[in-house]
Amino acid sequence: MKYLSWFIRWINNRIFSIPGRVIALLFVAAILAIPLITTESYFLRILTLTAIFAIYAASWDLLAGFTGQVNLGQAAFFGVSVYTASLLNIHLNLPVWATIPLGALAAVLIGLLTCVPALRLRGFYLALVTLSFPIILNGVVLIFTDYTGGELGLSGIGRLSGSRVTDYYLVQIVMLVVVFMMYKFTDAGSKMVRTALIFHAIREDEITARASGIDTTRYKMVAFAMSGFFAGIAGGLYAHYMRIAGPSTLELIFSFQAILWTIFGGIGTIYGAVAGVYILYPLIEVMRLHPAGEKIQVIVFALILIFTLLFMPQGLTTWVRDKIEVTCPRCKTINIWYRKKCRSCRASLHLEKRDRQSEKGALDEVDL
Amino acid sequence: MIANILINGLITGGTFAILALGFSLVFGVAKILNLAHTAFYMIAAFFIYTTSVNLGLPLAFSAVLAVLFTGLLGMVCYKVLLDRVKKHETAVMIISLAVGMLFQELLLIIFSGAYRRVPPFIPGFTELLGVRVSYQHLLAIVVSGFILLGIWALMSKTRLGKAVRAVAEDYEIANVMGINVSWICTLTNGISAGLAGVAGAVVAPLYMVQPYMWMHPLIMVLAAVVLGGLGSAKGSVIAALILGFAETLVIFLVPGGSFLRGAISLCVMVVVLMLRPEGLFGVVFEEERL
Amino acid sequence: MRSGVNQSSRFNRWVLTVFGVSLVAVFLFSAAEVLAKPTVKFGVITTTKYPITTHQWWGAQMAAEEINAAGGVNIGGVSHDIDLIKAESNELASVTDAANAMEKLLTVDKVAAVTGGLRGEAVLAMMELMADHKKIFISSGSGSKETSEKVAENYDRYKYYFRNTYINTVYMGKIQFALLDITAAKVREVLGIKTPKVALLIEQAMWGNVQIEVAKKLLPEMGLEIVGVWRPSPHTTDVTAELTAIKSAGAHMIFTGMTGPGGPVVSGQWGQLQIPATLSGYNAFGSWEGTWKATGGMCAYEITYDAYAHDVAITPKTIPFMEKYIQKYGQKPLFVAGAYDALYIWKEAVERAGTIDADKVVAELEKTDYIATYGRVVFHPQGHQFPHDVIWGPGYMTTVGFQWRDGKQICVWPNGEALFPALSTDPGWKGLKYQGTQDVQLPPWMVEYWKSKK
Repeated sequence: MKYLSWFIRWINNRIFSIPGRVIALLFVAAILAIPLITTESYFLRILTLTAIFAIYAASWDLLAGFTGQVNLGQAAFFGVSVYTASLLNIHLNLPVWATIPLGALAAVLIGLLTCVPALRLRGFYLALVTLSFPIILNGVVLIFTDYTGGELGLSGIGRLSGSRVTDYYLVQIVMLVVVFMMYKFTDAGSKMVRTALIFHAIREDEITARASGIDTTRYKMVAFAMSGFFAGIAGGLYAHYMRIAGPSTLELIFSFQAILWTIFGGIGTIYGAVAGVYILYPLIEVMRLHPAGEKIQVIVFALILIFTLLFMPQGLTTWVRDKIEVTCPRCKTINIWYRKKCRSCRASLHLEKRDRQSEKGALDEVDL
Repeated sequence: MIANILINGLITGGTFAILALGFSLVFGVAKILNLAHTAFYMIAAFFIYTTSVNLGLPLAFSAVLAVLFTGLLGMVCYKVLLDRVKKHETAVMIISLAVGMLFQELLLIIFSGAYRRVPPFIPGFTELLGVRVSYQHLLAIVVSGFILLGIWALMSKTRLGKAVRAVAEDYEIANVMGINVSWICTLTNGISAGLAGVAGAVVAPLYMVQPYMWMHPLIMVLAAVVLGGLGSAKGSVIAALILGFAETLVIFLVPGGSFLRGAISLCVMVVVLMLRPEGLFGVVFEEERL
Repeated sequence: MRSGVNQSSRFNRWVLTVFGVSLVAVFLFSAAEVLAKPTVKFGVITTTKYPITTHQWWGAQMAAEEINAAGGVNIGGVSHDIDLIKAESNELASVTDAANAMEKLLTVDKVAAVTGGLRGEAVLAMMELMADHKKIFISSGSGSKETSEKVAENYDRYKYYFRNTYINTVYMGKIQFALLDITAAKVREVLGIKTPKVALLIEQAMWGNVQIEVAKKLLPEMGLEIVGVWRPSPHTTDVTAELTAIKSAGAHMIFTGMTGPGGPVVSGQWGQLQIPATLSGYNAFGSWEGTWKATGGMCAYEITYDAYAHDVAITPKTIPFMEKYIQKYGQKPLFVAGAYDALYIWKEAVERAGTIDADKVVAELEKTDYIATYGRVVFHPQGHQFPHDVIWGPGYMTTVGFQWRDGKQICVWPNGEALFPALSTDPGWKGLKYQGTQDVQLPPWMVEYWKSKK
């Protein structure tokens, strides 16, 4: 009984009083509950693909948002894993729970390969070099057509699971677990995992970080490896879900998609990437299949991006968070926006307003 | 064989060079990655198509109009969209990419995906050193040479050029010195878009005009600018030529691999950057510690 | 000031009138629905973003309109109108989008059958969905043999797949070699060269790899010498380097195979630089009517093939179909317009089966023997190497080899002679010549060049 009340208090404190986390909880509940409302195959398909792309986008965010290594070739990680998982499944008949991790490991290798230029190059130079990796890999795919099936790709890959609904749950749960892991790895406030703090340091000021004795090379490699791993998980899931693997997974536009979704949702926050994908992908997809929407689908996408970046340059979730959350200036706990006093230290949350009010009062008295 | 490689490499490289120059200019001055640069080139091509084929205006006149129109469009786009988010590099990159996609879709709606052809200024071909070259290709190289000279003259001999170079080196001090940084940036964008327009006029007759024609040159332009070193206009032109030669070498030495031309020239870029991280003529900036 | 009672009764009357009118409207509407013909849904999955793919939708649209005007489809004694539903596949840009579009057609729109598809990789993805949901898919675009090979691999799962056009890539290869053969005959005749030199300019693709292997064995047998192999990307935007290399290699003929947007680039630049070699083979985008304008007429003298050519009556249905199509859409139909016949073939199979149940319709489709607008359609049976593929051969579907001349596609093949034995030993080729077929002409600049070299 004591534990129950302790648990309830813990939930209240850690989750229910923080608006951002409440939204996250509602989101989790919603996606888990959807198949109870409808098992419409097409609908579940869209959401399953959204989950896969959410993992993909979040893996990009991990790299670019947190360590500042802008990677324009994320599709390379995804594509390598798709092909590896497919080849293992087709030729060696390995089951799903083996091919996906192995595919992810192949993506890790490519991640480390991509890291090599990252150690010497910065900014735009690094971006361009990473951009060329999927293109070069595409070339490789087209050379070794006996193994890769050339431009037609591979087909007849084994299923993810028995039915659409189990596919959906499998993918969503993997997404939640993986995204949570990524969030923990990059949460700078975490006491358990130090890597996040170091990633932040590398992003903000690499020279100082190095001067403080941190081996930035090692941490950059960790970042690339992790990003590759998670993108690889997404790739493996994709291969088994679509049951075909082709060079379309290495296309340039696919690399850009991860970036566009994440920037829209909020860079530097794992949940921003997830939110970006969950909002944009179903929206654009549904638009495309409406007879009139098909023509303006990309235009709407581009306009949404432009307006978001002009008015919310940090991304949607960051903007929303700023509106619904207030951080206490004294003890740094997060409070909901309409509170006047902090819930843990009772300090006044909205100092400037009060100061301004008093200033106004003073000026009013003076006769100018 | 040598003559073939020489001439074709020059042609391929020369056509990239015009586009690379405009891109490099804007990046050096305003520090913006304008990913819509090749989209301006596409718009100029469609503009010329519309005015010369549909409206029947003379070709040279259409070209001039196209350059002016694209230049103006570039200035407007910059002022309205990019100026306010100049500080956020990635935001600029994404917005310009979105603008490019927007142009592509608008052109798709207006013109549909059908291929069109802009008639060449000088039809026909000739033989140089035993190699067939179309007059339009030669015109493209000559024009890019002129543009290079023109921009060099603009930058080094005129007051405007001095102002542009000042802003490129240190915009804060330039601002303090009384140069209207915002206006210079806008103007540079206009010039850059105008250059893309010239490329459209000169290069478009060589390729098919269709709403997806901006993507492939974009990659090559980015590669050329990076290889040459950011902030160096001379570098991007030389790099464009190098990449053009790399592609041509592939086609002549490994004809079965001509589909790899793009991948191989990017490989060249990667290798060079590994050896020289700032690009061939790149200016190394001290990392700003704010 | 009106009294309260009057005001409320006025209001009441107004409400009653509106209510009454809407009741009547609802009644009339539902009566119209009930009296309206029952419909059956048919899906078209294609992309209209490229000039050549719109023909697929146009063909299907024209067929649906005609069928409905003629009374619809008779399913088990009840006549149904076809409700044609289009889904934008975006397959040339994203295979994921294509698969989504297919699933939407099959599960949300609940169509009885689908036609369409163009890109091989996308069609393979669509086949998976077709098999999962057990609906008929009559492919009317892609020629990749890998799709019908899947039917052979796992008949029970993939039997719902049929291909009514194009012929598959193996047959396409044979046609290309046949065209090369007749062009070589002309080169020998006019220029007196015993063993013409051939340059292979074939796009980098799976089917291209196969063709090159076959060419290396076949061309020497045909009395031709290969001087080099160039593999541009299907999306290439510039082949001047390849073309000048080909000229330097001294080739008399260029054997081409392009299915991507790079096709018109090849034919346009070849004509612009007047490369002294014939250009024959396959150029998918180049057989689109607009290519003449798009290359500024530079593709003249190129030899390629399509399911339709101007003024060539392959079957009695060809010319009336083409005339109506040109009148309606302003362009000559491209091979993907065979979606028109896909609808008719499906209609006849359903009417024979008496139901839209997929398994029964499959059995009837296998028995198809239909005179289409581009030839006679019979599908290879189960057990063949390419089951459910349209048969290629004299008396079936042959396609029409044509040469671009003066803005028109002049038929040059089949030319009434037997095919080179390695390509086909069917005796039916001899004597098969469509009305309007002419001889191959060599490009004048090529003849001049080689004659002056002598």
